[in-house]
Amino acid sequence: MSEAPVTQQEYELDTSWMSTMGEWGMRAEPGKRGLTLEDIRIGSYGELPEISDNMSGHPRGSAERPDAYRVGGYGVRTLAEIWLDNATFLYEEALQRQWSSATDIPWETVEPLPDEVEEAECLLCTFFNEVEFVAGDVPARWIAQTTPDYLEPRHVLLAQVMDEARHMDVFRKRALANGGGLMRMSGATSGFVGSIDLARDFTEMSTRLHISGEGAVLTMFRMGELFGQNEAEKRMYRLCAQDEARHVAFGVMHLRYLNEACPERREEIHAYLDEAEAQIMAGLQNPAGTQAETSEALAILLGGSKSQYDEGHKKLLVIRRRQLKEYMQRVKTAGFGDRFENGRSTIPAQHAAAY
Amino acid sequence: MMPVFPSHAWFQAVREVYNGDASLHSGGGGACDTTAGLKVGDDGYLMVFEGLECADVRPAGEGEMSEADFIIEMPLALWKEMVANVQENGKADLDHTLNSIDLQQEESIAYSPADDQYRQDLFYRYNQNFQDFFDASSRVETIFDQA
Repeated sequence: MSEAPVTQQEYELDTSWMSTMGEWGMRAEPGKRGLTLEDIRIGSYGELPEISDNMSGHPRGSAERPDAYRVGGYGVRTLAEIWLDNATFLYEEALQRQWSSATDIPWETVEPLPDEVEEAECLLCTFFNEVEFVAGDVPARWIAQTTPDYLEPRHVLLAQVMDEARHMDVFRKRALANGGGLMRMSGATSGFVGSIDLARDFTEMSTRLHISGEGAVLTMFRMGELFGQNEAEKRMYRLCAQDEARHVAFGVMHLRYLNEACPERREEIHAYLDEAEAQIMAGLQNPAGTQAETSEALAILLGGSKSQYDEGHKKLLVIRRRQLKEYMQRVKTAGFGDRFENGRSTIPAQHAAAY
Repeated sequence: MMPVFPSHAWFQAVREVYNGDASLHSGGGGACDTTAGLKVGDDGYLMVFEGLECADVRPAGEGEMSEADFIIEMPLALWKEMVANVQENGKADLDHTLNSIDLQQEESIAYSPADDQYRQDLFYRYNQNFQDFFDASSRVETIFDQA
């Protein structure tokens, strides 16, 4: 053993980090619904920059590091591009209304169905799998593009991605649960639905996805309660409709905010709506439209059999009218209802023709 | 004494059952914030949901109904058919859920008194809660108004 003396090196403990902080002394208090995102929008932590210069990804309100890398090439850096007034509410609602496709659907109520009915249901499940992939993938890309300063809408979109994952899995489960399987893909994602992913602007994407796409799908999901053959299917469609209505609410409220904050963009928004109305509301991507394979499947399900196709088709027309009417009402609620009065939109004519 | 449908006492009794059953407050029927109007024949009610509970159900006149985010309006006979179906089956059967009934009509049974689709969409966003509420009425022994 060495007899060399052990020298104890002295280090000065550097606690300078302790004095580098955001605003201190916060005491957020929970309300009736617990401690929500809205409850912590206090002091400087609640201040929203109109334009964000946060390129390092530092959490809003935290102290910055001068040597931090510019990790985020955030494209969405102005408030009006993405904001909506009820984002905190929608996020908390999304968290508190989650459900499990494994345990909250009474799968035991699924019973063997006539082949044609099972095939029609499986075709729809295949279709919904396809379109919900898009509805999950697209917001996911925009989350990473958005400055962390706008954390509230980011959080809502993150919750949407979770919702869409559940929708994909629940329709896949249904297709594989009753002697059937997935059918041939509809190809919907190669048309307008797929083009949602080509949007270069967040509002363009949201108008296509949340207002037009998910608004149409919401009606489909609600219709599931009419054509569902058992309690499992009815519940599956009802719970998906609840989630979808929340996504639609995001789009409506964002568009309403943008309309007030940036009236100079109105014409651009109308152009997005023109495009959506010409395609998604009428074409192959809409099962309640006039020419899709999926609309035939829906008519069989609504009628109860292939021989009752005409009866089912009549019900489908009623649903189509509802879909168009609700779409017009949402666009009007968002502040763009003038298009239905000045002849710009063909939807009123489509609605009238559906009688 | 068994409450009569429709009456304030009946809605209060259902509210107590709904609020007292924690199993109805999850699995897609979680937190819900809305004021729903119900038009049951000549009677009007406001049903207030706050978080995980139905905070209040009260009779409402025509003027107060405008406070509702949306109003569910059906002929009295259809309301009675729906509630009777719940009583008989323990919950609505496949043709008597609120959504099924809604979709069987030419026009929606739910509408926004302010003509605001965002508020009307709350009927869809929280549909499971309303279904759970009315399904809970299977545990309230009910007599029907003969009118």
